Amino acid sequence: MVYDGIVLSLLIGWFRGGSLKGLAHMKLRGGWLFPLLLALQFVIFFLQEKVAWIAKMSNVIFLLVYITGLVFLWLNRHQPGLPVIFAGVLLNFIVMAANGGRMPVSVEAAQFLGREYIEALKAGLYAKHQAITSDTLLPFLGDIIPLSPPYPRQQVISIGDVVMNVGAFLFIQHLMLSAPRHGKGNAGEEKVTASVNQ
Amino acid sequence: MTFTVKWQGKIYLSFITLIALSIFWVEDVFVNHSLKDWVFVYILSAAVLLLSYFSIHLPPKGNSFSMDSAIYLAVMFLYGIHMALSILFISILVEFLYKRKMEWWKHLSNFSMYSLMIAGSYYSFLFFGGDIGKIRTDNLFPYVASLLIYFLVNIALIFAFFFFLGRVYRGAFNLGVLLESVVGYLVTLILSLVLAILLAEERYFGLFLFTILVIILSFVFRKFLYLYQLVSNRANKDHLTGLYNHGFFKETLKEQFADCKRLKQPLTLALLDLDDFKKYNDRNGHLQGDRLLMFFGKLLQKAVEGTNFTIARYGGEEFAILMPNTTKEDAYVFLNRLRKQVNDTYFDGVEHIPYRCLSFSCGIAEMEKDMYESDELIHRADQALYYAKAQGKNNVQLYDQHNISLNEIQFKQDLEALEQQVKFFLSKDVYTYRHSKRVFKYALEFGSRLDELTNHERQTLSLGALIHDIGKIEVPRDILNKQGKLEKHEWEIIKKHVTWGREIIAEEKRFDDLLPLIELHHERYDGKGYPYGLKGEEIPKLARILCIIDSFDAMTTERPYQPTKTFDEALKEIERCAGTQFDPVYAAKFIAFVRERYLPLVKMPQWD
Repeated sequence: MVYDGIVLSLLIGWFRGGSLKGLAHMKLRGGWLFPLLLALQFVIFFLQEKVAWIAKMSNVIFLLVYITGLVFLWLNRHQPGLPVIFAGVLLNFIVMAANGGRMPVSVEAAQFLGREYIEALKAGLYAKHQAITSDTLLPFLGDIIPLSPPYPRQQVISIGDVVMNVGAFLFIQHLMLSAPRHGKGNAGEEKVTASVNQ
Repeated sequence: MTFTVKWQGKIYLSFITLIALSIFWVEDVFVNHSLKDWVFVYILSAAVLLLSYFSIHLPPKGNSFSMDSAIYLAVMFLYGIHMALSILFISILVEFLYKRKMEWWKHLSNFSMYSLMIAGSYYSFLFFGGDIGKIRTDNLFPYVASLLIYFLVNIALIFAFFFFLGRVYRGAFNLGVLLESVVGYLVTLILSLVLAILLAEERYFGLFLFTILVIILSFVFRKFLYLYQLVSNRANKDHLTGLYNHGFFKETLKEQFADCKRLKQPLTLALLDLDDFKKYNDRNGHLQGDRLLMFFGKLLQKAVEGTNFTIARYGGEEFAILMPNTTKEDAYVFLNRLRKQVNDTYFDGVEHIPYRCLSFSCGIAEMEKDMYESDELIHRADQALYYAKAQGKNNVQLYDQHNISLNEIQFKQDLEALEQQVKFFLSKDVYTYRHSKRVFKYALEFGSRLDELTNHERQTLSLGALIHDIGKIEVPRDILNKQGKLEKHEWEIIKKHVTWGREIIAEEKRFDDLLPLIELHHERYDGKGYPYGLKGEEIPKLARILCIIDSFDAMTTERPYQPTKTFDEALKEIERCAGTQFDPVYAAKFIAFVRERYLPLVKMPQWD
């Protein structure tokens, strides 16, 4: 889902006369946090079957990863779109924190993902997900939105994911359209986008 | 513009918010959603947000209607009020987080307004036997009724909003704009039915199609609006400086004048004139002069950034700043600071003009309650500007009656010029001629006894008294000299003399001060006079005084074959009409004046 959003943003940004060069001008504070977070996730993923206490703590660690991500977004809140991503992550974080560090998934919405998936979900085999039951808190923030045809991929997402994607869209549009322009040909084009954006 | 909510506004806001919240409480909005419903609520909220972002703008600017209402109504028809209110709540919440620049109470008021509209149309839908859940084409009446209620509640709340928050909603007073909005509503309401049918058939894809369609329309209309604004800017803006031009400024002034008068808010006008611009042009050439004008225009634009002021290029090197909600004292502080800042700003070639720096003179006038048209404001600011120029330029002056008194020679010249005009009556209507002369004499004497008048006001009163009936020159002789009662149409012609008189005297700029006296000396204190029916203090002070003198002389004039009142009787009549026809304060003063000055003369033995 995240990748779909980014691809769509790039496409629309290109249609609006933006440039990929803008992405190179991205200036983020605390950017070193990113690879660290990724590495941490991989470590947990590989180690949780081997080291018992990591498996136990994996939910807590995931929440910590989320918190670090939130801090990172907060540091960059002055960039357009990032406050929206922050809000999306926060929504996901709230529902996960309320339910023991796992994202609740609607069984009904996840039907088409296959029987095995549902079984595993109900059994609590997934580290990051669990089925929604009557005990689940804030179920409406969980993974309840089914994506199905005509959408090209099948997936269940949460409202937080949607908000994050909107934020990513805004951020990428901002980057692509604020890229420095070159040549005369773009002058007229710029006028057109300006009129559309007002 | 900073804007504080008045206490009536606060009460009103809390009142409708309370109602809205109680609707949420009574209807238990958030409880009964299944997860599937939640997904639908999310999607609909997203659609509402998209549609209110891509609202459809119509020229002239400020008119836009958004299609979000269509969604609320469609959802209400199909799924009931819970769903509609949930969507409303979420979308307003998101807007609140997103549009941080908008004041919080505006979001609150939006929220309450929509809640009331949705609830109103929902209950009326049920009341008229509507069926929630399916669009029934065999019984359309409940739909029409609920759409009508939605519309009426909206209009009523908007009126109340502007009323209690003390703002002018120009649309409310303009039938044309109201009609236009009716069309907008009609479109929205029909679309709501279309959307409901779509939703019933294909929930998600129907909504998707609808949203996409509206967004595309919105793009197209935006393009139109952009072109419209481009063209209207060309018509309203001065080519050289990019400021508004004279015509547009006059129009704006007129509107603001009427608004501020209705709301009893201050309105101040400043006229600026670049000092020694002609000399600058002569030394540096006209092209450089143009550059200076452009430069100065930019300076002004920068100075008023973030305010609600309107700036315009009024004439060659004259600029105007219109300042609503600003008193003349604040305006003085603002302009004097600007003047110093301009002095400190170097521009090529200024070393050749006397001050050796860029400078301007400025006159400021504030709207007063006895002004009845915007031209008076311009006239006063203009006088203050002349005074500023006479004080040696590079300064700011507030309009002040005392500063602009005519000197004796000028007064004499004006008097002679006006007397020439009055002389036309000698052949046409000698009674009007003599009436004018007598009223002039009374005004001169009475004015000199009124200590509260300034010198200039006394002069204005006397000159106005002399010329006040000049418009009668256009009234046919047979009407003027008719014996007996006038027909209705003849009376209408007589009434026009105030307007004609104004037109005649308006030809010469130096008599601008006299115009209110000529045009308004038949206004009555109780508002039943003509031509405008102004009331009480709305009538300029001098016109109120002139009205008393004029009536007194009309009553006591001797005309053959007509009964005449004695001075005593006339004074009693004035006393009787004080407070209705006449200003009571000046009526009392005038009675005292006549008693003291004339009654002794009348009482002397006469030789008839």
